[in-house]
Amino acid sequence: MRSLVLLMFAITLGLIQVASAQSDVAAKPTEGLRDNRPQKFALTNARVVVQPGQVIANATVLIQDTAIIKVAEQASIPAGFLTIDCSGQTIYPGLIDAYSELEVPRPNENESGHWNSNVTPQRSAHVVVDEAKKEFEKTRSQGITVRVVAPEHGIIKGSSSIVLAGDTDSGRLLMRSAPWQHVSLTVPKNRPRSSYPNSPMGAVALLRQTLYDATWYGDAWRAYRANPILPRPETNLALASLQNTITNQTFIVDAPNERMALRADAIAKEFSLSIALRGSGREYRDLDAIVAAGHPILLPVKFADKPKVSDAAAARNVSLQELMHWDLAPENPGRLAAQGAVICLTTDGLENVKDFLKQVRLAVSRGLDPDTALAAMTTTPAKLLTIDDSVGQVRAGMLANLVITDGDLFDKKTKVLETWVAGKQFRISPPKPKSSDSLIGRWLLTFDAGDSQVEAHLNISQKGEKLAGQLAKILATGQDGDTEEVAEKNDTDEDEDTDDADAVAESDTDAEKASAESSKAKSAELKQIVRQKDRLQASVRLSDLSDAFESGISQLSIISVDEGDDVMTAFGSIRLPDGETQTLKIAFVDPEADDKTDSEKDTKKPDEDPDESLASHTPLLYPLGAHGRSEPIAAATTVLFRNATVWTCGEEGILDSADVLIRDGKFVSVGRKLAVPDGCTVINANGKHLTPGLIDCHSHMATDGGVNESGQAVTAEVRIGDFIDHTDITIYRQLAGGVTTSNILHGSANPIGGQNQVIKLRWGQGMNDLRMTQAPAGIKFALGENVKRNQSRYPNTRMGVEQLMRDQLLAAREYDRAKRDYRNGKRDGLPPRRDLQLDAMSEVQRGERWIHCHSYRQDEIVATLDLLEEFGIRIGTLQHILEGYKVADRMKRHGAMASSFSDWWAYKFEVFDAIPYNGALMHDQGIVVSFNSDDRELARHLNTEAAKAMKYGGVSAQEALKFVTLNPAKQLRIDEFVGSVEPGKHADLVIWSGPPMSTTTRCEQTWIDGRKLFDLESDRQMRERDGRLHATLVQKILDDKSPSKSDTKSKDVDEEDRWARHDVYCTATGQNYHNHTQSERRQ
Amino acid sequence: MRTTIYSQVRLAIAVCVVMTAPSLSVAHDQVPGKQQQRPIVIKGATIHTVDGPTIENGSVLFEQGKITAVGKAVVVPAKAIEIQAGDMHVYPGLIEPITDLGLREINAVEETSDTTERGERNPNVKSWVAVNPDSELIPVARAGGVLTAMTAPRGRFLRGQTAVINLDGWTVADMTLLSPAGLYVDWRWMEPTDQDDKKRIAKRTERHEEFSALIAEATRYGEGRQANPSDTPTDVRLESLLAVIAGKYPLIAQANDQATIESAIAWAQSHQLKLIIYGGYDAPHCAELLINYDVPVIVGSVYRLPMRRNDAYDTAYTLPARLQTAGIRYCIGGAGAGSPGGAAAARNLPYHAGNAVAYGLSRNQAVRSITLSAAEILGVADRIGSITVGKDATLVIADGDILETSTNIVQAWIGGREVDLGSRHKTLYEKYRKKYSR
Repeated sequence: MRSLVLLMFAITLGLIQVASAQSDVAAKPTEGLRDNRPQKFALTNARVVVQPGQVIANATVLIQDTAIIKVAEQASIPAGFLTIDCSGQTIYPGLIDAYSELEVPRPNENESGHWNSNVTPQRSAHVVVDEAKKEFEKTRSQGITVRVVAPEHGIIKGSSSIVLAGDTDSGRLLMRSAPWQHVSLTVPKNRPRSSYPNSPMGAVALLRQTLYDATWYGDAWRAYRANPILPRPETNLALASLQNTITNQTFIVDAPNERMALRADAIAKEFSLSIALRGSGREYRDLDAIVAAGHPILLPVKFADKPKVSDAAAARNVSLQELMHWDLAPENPGRLAAQGAVICLTTDGLENVKDFLKQVRLAVSRGLDPDTALAAMTTTPAKLLTIDDSVGQVRAGMLANLVITDGDLFDKKTKVLETWVAGKQFRISPPKPKSSDSLIGRWLLTFDAGDSQVEAHLNISQKGEKLAGQLAKILATGQDGDTEEVAEKNDTDEDEDTDDADAVAESDTDAEKASAESSKAKSAELKQIVRQKDRLQASVRLSDLSDAFESGISQLSIISVDEGDDVMTAFGSIRLPDGETQTLKIAFVDPEADDKTDSEKDTKKPDEDPDESLASHTPLLYPLGAHGRSEPIAAATTVLFRNATVWTCGEEGILDSADVLIRDGKFVSVGRKLAVPDGCTVINANGKHLTPGLIDCHSHMATDGGVNESGQAVTAEVRIGDFIDHTDITIYRQLAGGVTTSNILHGSANPIGGQNQVIKLRWGQGMNDLRMTQAPAGIKFALGENVKRNQSRYPNTRMGVEQLMRDQLLAAREYDRAKRDYRNGKRDGLPPRRDLQLDAMSEVQRGERWIHCHSYRQDEIVATLDLLEEFGIRIGTLQHILEGYKVADRMKRHGAMASSFSDWWAYKFEVFDAIPYNGALMHDQGIVVSFNSDDRELARHLNTEAAKAMKYGGVSAQEALKFVTLNPAKQLRIDEFVGSVEPGKHADLVIWSGPPMSTTTRCEQTWIDGRKLFDLESDRQMRERDGRLHATLVQKILDDKSPSKSDTKSKDVDEEDRWARHDVYCTATGQNYHNHTQSERRQ
Repeated sequence: MRTTIYSQVRLAIAVCVVMTAPSLSVAHDQVPGKQQQRPIVIKGATIHTVDGPTIENGSVLFEQGKITAVGKAVVVPAKAIEIQAGDMHVYPGLIEPITDLGLREINAVEETSDTTERGERNPNVKSWVAVNPDSELIPVARAGGVLTAMTAPRGRFLRGQTAVINLDGWTVADMTLLSPAGLYVDWRWMEPTDQDDKKRIAKRTERHEEFSALIAEATRYGEGRQANPSDTPTDVRLESLLAVIAGKYPLIAQANDQATIESAIAWAQSHQLKLIIYGGYDAPHCAELLINYDVPVIVGSVYRLPMRRNDAYDTAYTLPARLQTAGIRYCIGGAGAGSPGGAAAARNLPYHAGNAVAYGLSRNQAVRSITLSAAEILGVADRIGSITVGKDATLVIADGDILETSTNIVQAWIGGREVDLGSRHKTLYEKYRKKYSR
């Protein structure tokens, strides 16, 4: 309703502006004398860009009050107009910034809104126009004349407003409410982590439920109005507002990374919503899928900060992914636009809005078409916002929103001279152009250069507050080993970074010239010197010192060890341009410091011409960064593995010297001396062992959804499957340990947790390709200490856990009955509301969703089995089940299967009776037993975990291997497809260097669906490739002269790094984990 | 990055632990071994002497707790107990170089944990005074062949003093081989990781200066005490540092990252202190410093994830082989990630060494890395670590290659005292086997 009113207001306003300058534009009475100074301007002799691609070389623009009334070549200037000569200037349409955000007050809790404070669709940003105004001086300096202001924080956040970037009162600035509702698929950063939802999975579940609720709300009111005898539904302003958005408006969905963009698309399809994405700048990482989804993208132009690579140790801590992102991010807008995506460029995420044009120009210099760039700031957002009738072009009848520049908008030297907002001129003033140390002295350094050694003096001196350093090659003069340095003659030459090849050799006297020529380029300045107590880091071009070095920048590190008694020993290393690190010999030679440098003045101006407008040569890798694939894995073909010891884990047992034939991703035959079909690749596996791919029945990797939604005791509605992270490096690491299938489970925070997702470790494929489609649905239940630990909610005892589960099963039964009755025509109540939580529970009852129940103690195990049997439910698996050995007979009677740890114990009280013989004891009672990891590292050697069943309880090697192959397949009800080397099953297999149960054996190849996803040789090649790429990019950064942002405030945590990748509730104190990963950088 | 959630969960756990903690002060059922009475000879076994060649079909003789003969043919004294161990392997007892064994029972039950003293500066606390000889975790570790361990406190910076203890005895006094054995320090404290360069450097400088000042204060304190004790009141923290300053035992610095390792070495050298690096993930990149100052490395577990996304998947797995090639002194520690870790997983020590074999280390070096190399680095090689005449009879008989998971320890002695290889786990196993055999 409110948006409608505003719309009408805006239209009226527009008419008045054009029609009469003298009319009032506001209802407020004038105090004192009226001010009717004429607001009539003629901008003449200007180059006018009417809209992207349409230019008038010499035009006049007439402005009256807030509007453009004429744009034409040689227009006559009416009387009363002030002529402004714009010769040599260009007039562009005023820019539109389609996204900025501000905190908007939440509706009062008593305001008939949604029960969850993250859901405030009724909120509107119009109340913060005055707040938004504070930034407008900055936005105008960037040519921005209209800005979208959206409410910050929340899951369904509210609608945004379109605001003129002027300086009048808010009534004149507010154009209208945007037809946009803002949505996030994760938990806002400013919210406490205690309440529901506290994970991205939970946020999406809440969004999904709320969208259903909004539709139901409409249905319920319709039913009530048709039949007022029915119970009257509540009035809910949030659901009412949302219902309107679903049918009439667009959802802007935050996509803080490339996966979120695809998740937003999935939600849009699920509910047939019109959406646009608030992009991240990372879309290039999954370009085709995101473009194919077809949603417009509000694109930030904040690109990555320059990674810190000041020395070899620092460079090692910067991931290839970070380096590649730094290099590729500026191309993101160009790549998206080239593929046909509809984009708007926004100031979203910029620390300083005044960087906007600079960043846009960078994007243009890196491949974004200038007309597209202009459209992305004018006509495109105008159209998306349905304000294209009044802004976005320099055209009569539109608001007089203009940018006047002294050149091409995308030329980096161009200045914005004026910005006009609704007929008001703003002159933009262009920004004004723009430290006693023990190491001081002379050091002798010895470098290896190819076969020879190069000696040089390193002179370190004080220069103002900083240190300066210079390397000077020592020239042997041939007399008594006497040496001479040439460098000092050159050291007044500060012109270090020009491309002038003669710079170094320039000198005054003939003698020096001769000397310099005979061995040109003998000195090299140390740059980017960072001095800390016991170390010095700097970069240097060794090629300036001697031709023996390849060109490029090397990084010098010196560790100075003060050994007491004024003895100082230095250790040096240098990282060469190719990424190799070399140890240097360093000796102190001259205690007299070079004393003249103090007087030198640094007169050099910062070089302002860094980039060469080139597209990067950095190849894309999927996923981005180390170990990513440059091309898709080849399709499955026909392959014969020759002469291996084959552990089939099937009827055939272990076969010596056997062959395995696979075709089209499936096992075809296993046996001795198989015939080689046409076109078949033969792999000699002589001396090797071949087993089925390993299956991990309990994992928390490859999800960025938070693992636990712990905000409520029952979260059956949340889905791990919504948040598969196919870029998790853990996938590759576990592939290298032979894992091919993994059951990604919700954590153990609550008695009824979320829905699990079985994946195959198809590293290098897209987000949606990892799901194992054949796996039936499942859900996590949990018993014991973890779930009763929250003192602020039910349950607090094992007794309460049993009652809660019972209550949910009963509720699901009644929910099913109500739905059935309504379907069958019973209309004595409101239409039943769809409840995603109870949907999942009723699937459990119907046997369509398997329970994987975290359990430890025998009492809770028995109680749960009793309960389920009462409801006629067979359990999927008992997970952990460390006291299963005490009640194996009871489990057997139920038909329960057990997925356990091999030997974990004593991390909390309920596992003090855990014993490593558990697996063997249950196995001996006829229970299907698996050993799982529940851990990113342990999953990398599940084979030797299985061997612990041999050690503790004497299970045979063959049966023990099934603990991590066939048995977990049975437990996940996927043994029809995987788990053994048998014809017809998926060709998921591992080649081992020796017997698979031996600690001294390593995995050599891992195949999934008949495709080789890991092998030692391609791993080696990838390492080399990654090393080269890393070195190249570090060079590029060292060579990049743009200012480093490293001293600004610490950057925001990336969305995917906000969430744990393990069950924080399972490792009890978390202390071990913390201790281990404290030094672990972002993965 | 993810600290928010962790701290919250930890808080939740702390609260619940206080509410629900049961009292746990039960003793395990295993009886400490008796003083060796008669000579014992193990015959016909493969003897992995570690400091010499492996002897096929050889014998080991030990008397009054000491090894007295090793070889193909050994003269057996009268009244000796003869153990026929054909097809068996004899190894020195395994040594877990850093563990919280004895200091904690159940991680999540705070009352059972004495690993971490309050505050950042605890150079004075002594791990061995809190070791519970009746911990259920000790027999479990022992049953895996781990007969000696260096038990160490935890904490944020100066964690406390460590001790090398044998894993059998009525009291800690019976068990102790060497105490103190080192001052355990988390060097990551000295290398803050703030994003902001200026802040980080300022904080780093401050911490380095603080620690240097502490050492200087301790030195002055020591001089003052020596000159005139009545003028200088006692200070247990400073007092405890005097032995470290005097070089009586080393600083053991936890450091994985290259810069952290380099920083520890530079600092220790400039204060003339002995140093051991624990963790050592990047140690091969610091080879020159480590070798020049003869700083050994305790590998902080082989079963570890790569520290950085870029690193090769097997970086931690190949670490021992790379240290070996670089000529850096090292030994292998167990129980890092991959399990709840620490004391409960000490029995898995040999598999860390076994995995290093899969990734390039020789079998002999692997065995040495969990026996003699550890003894050398911890300063107890005169007593244990190899099957050598004159050393303690601290050894095990295994029914196969000790690096293999399927191998079991069948008999063990510490200083000639036979060790009960039973454990809580075996007791429960036997109990429930009975349930199903009835």
